[in-house]
This record gives sequence, structure tokens and C-alpha cells, in this order.
Amino acid sequence: MSLSDLKHSLRKYEFPACAKEALYKIEQLLIGRSAPSSKQLDISMDITSEFIFCETDRRGNRRGSGLNPLQELQLIDIISEYLSACSNETTKNTIFLSLFGSMDSQRKLKILSILASMAVSACCTPVLSAVGVWLQQMGCSSPQSLQLVESVIQDHFYLNTSNQNSLKTLATCAPEFVSNFITAVTELYMHDLQGVKKMPPKNLLEIITSWVYSNPTLCMSAQLNPAALPVGAIPMAVVTPLAGLIHWCSIAPLHVEETIDVEEPAPKKIKIEGEKQTVVKSVPLSKPLPTSDLYTKLHLAVLHSLRVGQRTHGPPTAVNAQQLAALIPLVQLYSHQLIKRGIKLQNDIKLQDCLDRIGQAIQVALANGCVYGNISNLLSALDTLPENRLLKMIIKKHQQSI
Amino acid sequence: MNNPTKTSSLSSDLNNFIYGVSRRNFQNAAELTKIGISLLKTFPAARDAVLEYFAMVFHDSVNVAINPADYEVDPNSNASLEAVSMIGPELCGLGESWAPFIAPWCIKLIMDIATDKANLPNATLQSIDPVRVLLDITTQNLMLLNSDERAKCIDMMLGCRACSWAVGWVGRAEPELVAPRALALGADAARAVLAHLANHPPALLHVRAALVDLFQDAIKEDPKSDKKRDVIPYLLNLASKSDIVLKALIQDIENTLTDTVMDRLSAICAMHRHSGSWEGVGPASLVTLLLRSDVHCFLLLLKHAQKNVFCRQLLEYLLQKLENEVMYPDRTVPLLISAGEEINIVREKLLVGNQLEQYSIARILILVCYNQPSEFISTIAYLLQYSRTDTTLALLVRIISGTITMHTPNDSADINMDTERYQNFIKTGVEYALRDSMLADEQIKKYFIVDELAGDQKTYMHYYSLNVIKLLRWENSNRVSALRTRSICRAVEANLYRIGGALQRYASLLQPRASSTMAVLPEMPTCHALAQILDRVDMSGTKSPPPSVEVILKVVQAVVKYFFRCLHEEDIFEKICGVQTASRLLRKLCLHSKLARAVALRDLLETAMFREDKIFGSKAVIPNLLATPKEWSNDDLLMYMNQKHGPITQLTQSHTSVFHAGIIGTGVRKQSGQDLDGIPPILTTNNELLMGALMSCMDGNSGVVEGATSVSLLLVELVSPDVMYNGLPWPDEDFTKQVSIERELYMRGAVERCAVARAALRRVALARPALCLSSALLRASAATLLHRLRAHLDRHTQSPELSRELSALTELLSTMTLGQLLPHPLSHMLELAPELTASELVQVLRDCLWNYTRDHVPSPALFTCDSTGLHWRDPSTCKPPTVYTDTLRIILQKKIATLGHMYPIMFLNLEKDS
Repeated sequence: MSLSDLKHSLRKYEFPACAKEALYKIEQLLIGRSAPSSKQLDISMDITSEFIFCETDRRGNRRGSGLNPLQELQLIDIISEYLSACSNETTKNTIFLSLFGSMDSQRKLKILSILASMAVSACCTPVLSAVGVWLQQMGCSSPQSLQLVESVIQDHFYLNTSNQNSLKTLATCAPEFVSNFITAVTELYMHDLQGVKKMPPKNLLEIITSWVYSNPTLCMSAQLNPAALPVGAIPMAVVTPLAGLIHWCSIAPLHVEETIDVEEPAPKKIKIEGEKQTVVKSVPLSKPLPTSDLYTKLHLAVLHSLRVGQRTHGPPTAVNAQQLAALIPLVQLYSHQLIKRGIKLQNDIKLQDCLDRIGQAIQVALANGCVYGNISNLLSALDTLPENRLLKMIIKKHQQSI
Repeated sequence: MNNPTKTSSLSSDLNNFIYGVSRRNFQNAAELTKIGISLLKTFPAARDAVLEYFAMVFHDSVNVAINPADYEVDPNSNASLEAVSMIGPELCGLGESWAPFIAPWCIKLIMDIATDKANLPNATLQSIDPVRVLLDITTQNLMLLNSDERAKCIDMMLGCRACSWAVGWVGRAEPELVAPRALALGADAARAVLAHLANHPPALLHVRAALVDLFQDAIKEDPKSDKKRDVIPYLLNLASKSDIVLKALIQDIENTLTDTVMDRLSAICAMHRHSGSWEGVGPASLVTLLLRSDVHCFLLLLKHAQKNVFCRQLLEYLLQKLENEVMYPDRTVPLLISAGEEINIVREKLLVGNQLEQYSIARILILVCYNQPSEFISTIAYLLQYSRTDTTLALLVRIISGTITMHTPNDSADINMDTERYQNFIKTGVEYALRDSMLADEQIKKYFIVDELAGDQKTYMHYYSLNVIKLLRWENSNRVSALRTRSICRAVEANLYRIGGALQRYASLLQPRASSTMAVLPEMPTCHALAQILDRVDMSGTKSPPPSVEVILKVVQAVVKYFFRCLHEEDIFEKICGVQTASRLLRKLCLHSKLARAVALRDLLETAMFREDKIFGSKAVIPNLLATPKEWSNDDLLMYMNQKHGPITQLTQSHTSVFHAGIIGTGVRKQSGQDLDGIPPILTTNNELLMGALMSCMDGNSGVVEGATSVSLLLVELVSPDVMYNGLPWPDEDFTKQVSIERELYMRGAVERCAVARAALRRVALARPALCLSSALLRASAATLLHRLRAHLDRHTQSPELSRELSALTELLSTMTLGQLLPHPLSHMLELAPELTASELVQVLRDCLWNYTRDHVPSPALFTCDSTGLHWRDPSTCKPPTVYTDTLRIILQKKIATLGHMYPIMFLNLEKDS
């Protein structure tokens, strides 16, 4: 079927319907024994932009307005329906990546973000796994991925805060997505060197802790289950969230106040006429842990995960030595500030706590053979850290073993 | 909790929503809204779509609310409206994290709606429910934003022309953000926004702060900010379009335009006046602005007009413009209204300002007074009270005549009413001033004054009176053309009652002179001034209608009070002046009113005899009468006197009598005083002054006789203890002996001890036949003399009692002779009396005086009225028969050696005639 015929047949439909049809046409075009030809790819691109995202009109010119939010919602509904109905994982991923793979358009990214967020809301495994693959292929720390993750965080940890229980189940529904999601999230927080650290919101931390704690294999799941990629695609390296989480847990003592979190003040509110004073109080199921305890719990979970991360065969893949080394400057900066203020490093509980945690994590990671990359560099970098007994012993031990 | 196994779609809610929305009608809006709200919560990602749908719902509900008729549905049950009412609280309550999404959505929606309905009046749009809900949501969410985002949102709104009302509304929550931003817009847009913003009073503060900041910034000394100078014409331009801006700018203008600011401003003006953007703010537009400003601006302008030529020109221009504007009754000039409201400041300035200020303010006041009659009245009252110089009084005249001249008489049937209107205002003004000064005196008396009173401090009433007097003087001089209509005079005449009341009040005021209070001021100067006022107006009824009875009575009483108060005055000059004024007033009052005369005479006599008797030297009528209790000392009491004389007097009933002819060793009992035992002299200043006053009450042709008659009757009434036996006839001598001697004694004592009564009797005697009516008094005197003299027959001729009797006799005879009650030969008894012995006197009195008078009843009928209106008794026709003169003749003949010279005078001519 030629392009014009295809288009002609699709133009019989109005917008939502034509998108549905277009998806099937694309599936026909792209799915086959071998990789699709470049012409087929072009045709599918054309159809995608005209009938699915309505970015171009029939002459191929850009349309100004695109879809309005309601139409976007309709489109998302159709896409998610299609993805859910898709039985073949490869087909699903192929179509998904062809729809959202070339991430040059903010508009598409926005639709993807909404799709992802809604899938999280609905706990829709097919869609989430597709998004997980997308994250992996785009690279978890790529700007697009970060944007998507940010929008999901915005939706589920700021705007909607009553969904914690359903979020907890995500780890079992879509572990690959969750793993990649955490990897991306660790990139978002506690990273800037100067000024105030951006700390993750508490409910996000809670959820991540519960995910990792209750499911030690989660962090490795993306690596353990390789994605079903389209024919001819190059799989991207999977980065586990472990390095990022070690980073979090180690830095956290430096920045989290020990004090018990104060109750959040009621949001200011203008009294509206006739409004009934409804006291909506989320009844806490169990007493929430203070933030510092959450990090401790997370730290334990990470150590657990590191033990699971040991691979029976092949080189270690779980934690990159360079990534681990990246947190050393942050600690050094902190200790410099302490010295400037005239505080003895040995006496600073926070710093010692931080160093202890680094030591523990390094020891577990090295002992389980999870670290890849230049380990000796890492050890020598660790040696520049302030004095800590545990750390010293670990460095000594491993330097000998190399 | 969503079921993870459900893979067909994300959720049924979402499907329903998508399906429902795609049908594009609002029948099930409520249903879909409910779904939408739940979607917002469970699928935050769908917020754009849901909000989009909500926007559609809002648009629809706005349409429904504007034209409920078109939809033929009950607005209460319309799905869109219902949906809106659900959305409102929901979106308000989402919380802080949602605000960054909700607020811009709201603002965009408002802008869309406003643009869509731009042809509708703002008020309609603002008042419909959906818009209100929307504004609530916006305000609520704006509050939750941080300031950067908020500012962004407000900027967004400000960009939209059609929704300035919404900015104003929403801006109430954040006036300090909105106001400066609004000012950065063009004049028209800023005006619209600020107008709406200003409906909210607290916001006004911020508008003003923003304006002042802008202005201060504009005049800052900064060589680079030449561009900023254009803000000044911009502000003026804005003010000319917006009442709010003008109001904000002129509020506390003294603080904004201080002298330094003014200097700076004039420097800037000089530099930039000719640049393009300043073109729109020439004098004409400034004057238009000033017309809309308030009186503080005007005062500031006045202040600067002193030094600044431009201000002076502007002032003149403004005043002319004002005078022009007032000609149109339907136009209200805010400046004038403000001047009316703050008239106290204006008036004060009139008193203390310099010449330019005074004259300009007078011009403004004329306009205010013309517009607001009540202010006219109060201005008159104020100036009458507080004016201290001729200049300010002249300004008052100017204001009065100016206001009246402004008035165009309307040619209606009620033209009288119309012309009298202003006269009434003046009258009321005079009245209020009087009342207020009286109150002020009253109030201020009670307070202590920190410093000593200034030397020339006067009571408020005094100041008021002086002002009125001055005005009356100007008016009476007939030289002041503005006062030709005698308006002040007439006003005062209309207030005679009150002025009389005031005079009475101040004249009867006797207060402790507590130092360091206003009470230390003497009342008399005030009384003099008040009397002066009365003296200067016309009470005769020649130039204006005569005063009513009530008024006359009040004034007469007041004047009498004042008269007696003057008698107490120590300074003789003041005293005489005051008495003269009082007499003149009495004369004026009594000349045309018999009633006034009657009241005045009675009041004068009564007061002089009973209340003020001390100053006339009168003694108490009966020494031991309860009315005048004497301070008895123990020595005077019979009981103690008798004890001094030891056991001799310890007899039965001795306590009732005393035998005491003297104390051995100290000679005979001393005569008590040489003043004829309590008979006061007649010829004293006070007495004469009183007589003068009495006489001035009976001015005119027949006045004297009539007046004297009433004085005569009054004397009888006041002296006689009861109404019996007060008739003219003299009874038999025996009758008095048996019946009325006590009464006669009392009456004689009363008259004798009262110098006023005696003096009055003499005056009465002059005005024949008035004395006849005092017949009872004469009779009493005669009867007692008769009996007393008889009692003295055996005593020493030189005893004090006898000499007292003799002087009483002399007085009786002279009075009766004066009143022509004793015709020719009998009239000479006066000359004979000193030479006669007591027994002779008794004979003469009985035969010649008593019997004659008994047989010739002293009645006015005896007196004939001649062609000149004079009453008199022709001696030729009333020669007494010899039976009454024989006694006299015999005694004379017996004493021819000493009294021979009298004989021919008394009897020879008589013989000749007969």
C-alpha cells in the first residue's frame, strides 16, 4: 500500500478514530521478520505526525495548535488501550519507541509524561513497562528522562498525595519501570555542589524506601530482565539505581536534621462563602518514620540489594566505581566547612555517620563484587576522605587484595 | 485502589469522561464535573484536560447566568451552574502544590471570559455567580503562590484590556503587587484597573503608596533619569482620567509636596515644560484637575502663590473658573464640596492668613456659601464670633454681599420668600453666633488656663458684640454700599429676644472670680457691648416691623437688669455711660409701647425698693420684720438689758419693759446717730439716676402724666400692706385713730425709710394729677403726724423724735403743695411749720390739712386739662373756704411778730380776690 492510499484510507476517520487506525497501520508497517526499511520508517513517521499527534496537516505543513488537552487525553486513552491490548512485548516496544523515540518535540514529551503519569495512577503494567524501556533507551539521566520523571513526581508526590498505597504496589507491577525511575530520581536530588541541596520530598523517599526495602531484587530487575527491543535496535546499558541510592544514603546524614519533622502547618486559605469546613485528615496507618530514620532504612535496603546484585557469572554490573567516587567531593566540601568553623572532624557525628555509611556500602559492594570500573582509583579517592576507622580498615583491606 | 489486572483501559472514569466530553453538550455537566474532580485527584496528569473542560463549563455557565431566559431553565437547576458550584470549593481547596496550575488557568479563563463578554457592562459580569466563583478561586490560589509566580500571573492579567475589572478584584488580595504594575500601563488601562482596585478600601493605601513612589522616583536628582521626568505629566494625565488616582495623589498632599519637593519640582518643570509629553498638562488641564481636587490642594496652592508667579496665575485662573462653574447649578465641583466639608480649616485660614489668602478664601467661601446655605449661616456665625480685626469683618461683609449678589432672584409668585431667604440666613447666622459665644463662655469658664490671661482678653460674647456693633456702625453710617440693605440691622432686630436674653443673663451673672479661668473676666464690658447693640438697632418700628410684645418684655427686663448692674459700677464714667444707655433704651422702648412702660416702671421701682434698696441708702421698711432680719446683739435684747440693771428690775412682768434712761456716770443715753434716725437722703447720685431712668420711661406728650400715674399707683401697691383703704378719700380723723393707725404707721415707715419712694413721690407730685392716686400714702403720713405730734406735746421740743416728725411734716407738706393738693393759702403751711409749736401744728394739721383734704377728695377730677395738655388746678377757682384757713389765720395773727411777713402773702391777696 502506498503512502497516499494509506493516508486516504485514514482520512475517512475523525480524530480519535483515525489515531486508533493509524496505530494499527504503523504496526503493520513496522512489525515484520526483519527490520523495517527506511521508507517504511518514513511512512510511519508521516502517519504518526499527521494522524496520531496531529502535528502536521495533509500537506505536511506544521499545524500550529496541535491537540488540545482534551484531545490529548483521548489520544492517551487510545495509546494506552492499544498498548494494553498488544500481546507481543516486542511489538509493543517497537510501536512505543517509534511513537516517542525521537524526542525532539516537547509536545510529544508532554503527552508521554501524561501517559506515564496516568499509567502510574492506574498501575497499568503494559504501559509502564514500555515507559521503562523508553527510559532505558533514552538513558535515565538524559534531559528527556529527567523531565518525564519530574512530571511524574510532580503529579504523584506533590499534586496527588493520597495514593501512597497504590504506588507501593508499582514495584511488583512494573519493576523495570520502577528501577529506571529510581535511577532517574537519584539524578534529580542531592547533586548540586554549591548552595542548598535539593532534597527529595518525604513521601517520595518513603515510597522509594518501601520499594527497595520490600523488594531487594528491584534495583537489579532492569538488568535481570533485558528489554524486548525492536529488531535491529541497539540496547542501551542499564544503570542500576544502587550507586545513586548509596549517594543519597551517605550524604543524607549531612543534610537531614535529626529533629523530628514538625507537623506541616495547615495551608493558608481564604474562606469562601458557603463553603463547609470539611476537615480532611489523612489518617496515618502507622506512625510515619522521621526522615533520618527513613534514610537509615533505605541504607539497609540498599545494602541488601547489593548482596542480591552479586552476579553468578560475568563481570559485575551493579555499581559503577566512578559514580561512587563522585560523592567524595561533596563530603570533602562539607568537612572543609567544618574546619573553617573550627570543629574537629572526629567529633562531628554527622560527618562520621556519613563516612560510616560510605564505608559500609563500599565494603558490601566490594565484598559482593558488584563494583565495576576503576576500583583502585576509587580506593585512593576514598583515602582522601577525613579520618574514619571503619573506612580506613576497608581501604586497607581492599588495597591489599588488588 | 485501581485494579492492576484491568488492562483494557486506564480507568472507567477516564473513559466516561472522555466520552462525555466529546459529546460537547452540557446536559450532564454536573456528572462529568464530578468525574473530572475525581480524575484530578486520581489522575493528576489529566489536569490539563479536566481544567479545559471546566473552562468550557464556566463559559457555558456564564452564558446561562447572563441570559437565563434564553435557556428557559431554572437557573438553580442548570447543570453548568451546578457544576460551577461544585468546582468552586474543589479548586479552592486543592492546596499549595496545585496553585501554580490553577492560578494561571483561572487567569486565562477570566481573560477569555472578559474578552468574550467585553460588550457587557462590567458590573453585570462581575455580579454573576460563575464569575464570582472564578474570582474566588483565583484569589485563593494567588494567595498560595510565591511572590514571583504571583507577579507573573498579575502581569498576565494586566496584559488584557478587557479584564481590568478582574485585576481590580483579584488585586484586592495583593494590592501592593497590583498597584505599581498597573501604573506601568498606559493611562487608560491603569485607570480602569485602579478604579476597580479602589473599590476595596485597604487597596487604596497601596495605590497611593505606588503613586507616591512613582512620583518620588520621578523627581529624584539623577542626571540619567531624564526619561523618568515624563512620569509627572503621565501622573497628571492619569489623575485627570481617574478619580482614584487623583484621590490618592491629593491625600495628605502637604506631606507629598513639601517645600523641598516643590523647589525640586519647579526646577524640573522649568527644564522639561516644553518637551512633548508635557504638552497635555498646561494651566487649563491643571485647573480642571484642581477643580476636582480638595481644599488642601487649594490651600497649598495659596501658600505657594505667595512666592510663585505661576501659582498666582493658576490661582486666579482657578477662581475664575470656579466662579464660572457655579453658574451651572447642575454641576458639582468637588473642590467646593471639599471646601464645604472642611470649612473649618478654610475659615481659620481666613482669619490668620495673609492678604492674598484672605481674599482668595473669601472668594471661595462666597461660592461655597452660595451652594450650601447652611455653610453661609455657619460662616457668618463663625466670623462674627472670631473676627478680631476690621479686615476680617470687612471680609464678612464681602462674603455676605457676594453671596447675595450671586443669587439670581427667581420671578415667581413667592418673590418675597425668595428675597427674604438670604436675610433669614443672616438672621440665623447672627443667632447661632450669639448662641455659640454664650456657650463658649459657659464652657470655657470651667477650664483652667495655663498662662495668665492676656491683658486684652475679652469674653466671647464681648468679641461677638464688638463685631456686631462695628457692623451696625458701618451700616448706620450709610457709607458702605454693600450694607445698604440694613441686613445686619434687620438680622439683629430679628434676634432682639435672644440678645435681650443674653444681656439679662450677663447682667445678672454673679460668679466667683476664680483665678486662672476665664471667669476672672468681668461681665460688665460684655453687658455694655450688648447694650450698645440694642442701642444701635431700631426698635421703634419705623424702619422695620415693630418687635413683638414678648421681645419688648424681654428687652425691657434685660435693660432694667443692666441699669441696676450699672449702678454698681465703680468707675463713674462707665456708670454714667451705662445708665445713659439704659435710659436711652428705656425711652426708645417705652415711647411706642405702653406695655413696655408699665413693665419698665414696675420693674425699676420694685427692684429699687426691694432688691437693690441698699445702693439707694434705703433702710429696711420695718426694722424687725422677718424680711429684713437684723443682726441682734445681746446688748439690744430686752432680757440682757434688764439684767444689767440688777435687782431693781426683778419685778413681775419686768422682762417686758425696761427702765433705762442712762447709765450713771456716763450721762444720758446717747442719741443713735445724726442721720435723722434712719431717714435716708433723697438727693443721691443713684437716686437721681433712677429717677432719670423712670422719667425716660415716660417720655412724650402725655407720657409723663400717664407714667407718673402708674408710678403713683405702683407706689401704693408696693408700700401698702393690703388692698383695703387704698382709695382716694380721706376718712374722719377719728376713724384712723380707731381703725387704721397701725397700717398708717407701717406705710409711713415704709415710705420714709425708702429714699426711692420718697423721690418718686416728688416726681409724681410734679406730674399733676398723678399724686392723687398716692392719696393713701399721704393720708398715712398725715394721720401718723397728727397723732405723733399730739403725743409730743409735752416733750422737749428738741428731741430727735420731734425733729424727725418735723422733717416728715415738711416733706408731706412740700409734696402735697407740689401736687397742688393744698391750694393757695394752705400751701404756705410749709413755710410756717418750723415756727410752730407742736400743739399749733396739731391744730393746723387737723383743721387745715386733714379736714380740707377730707372734704375735698384728692382726685384727678379736681384738675382740668388746658389747651396745652397740661393738668392743673386753677388757684382762682379752688380757693378753700375760710373754715379751713381760719385756724391758720389765727395762729399767724398770734405769731405776727415772727411770721408777719407771711400774712400778706397768704391772706391779703385772698381778701382782694374775694
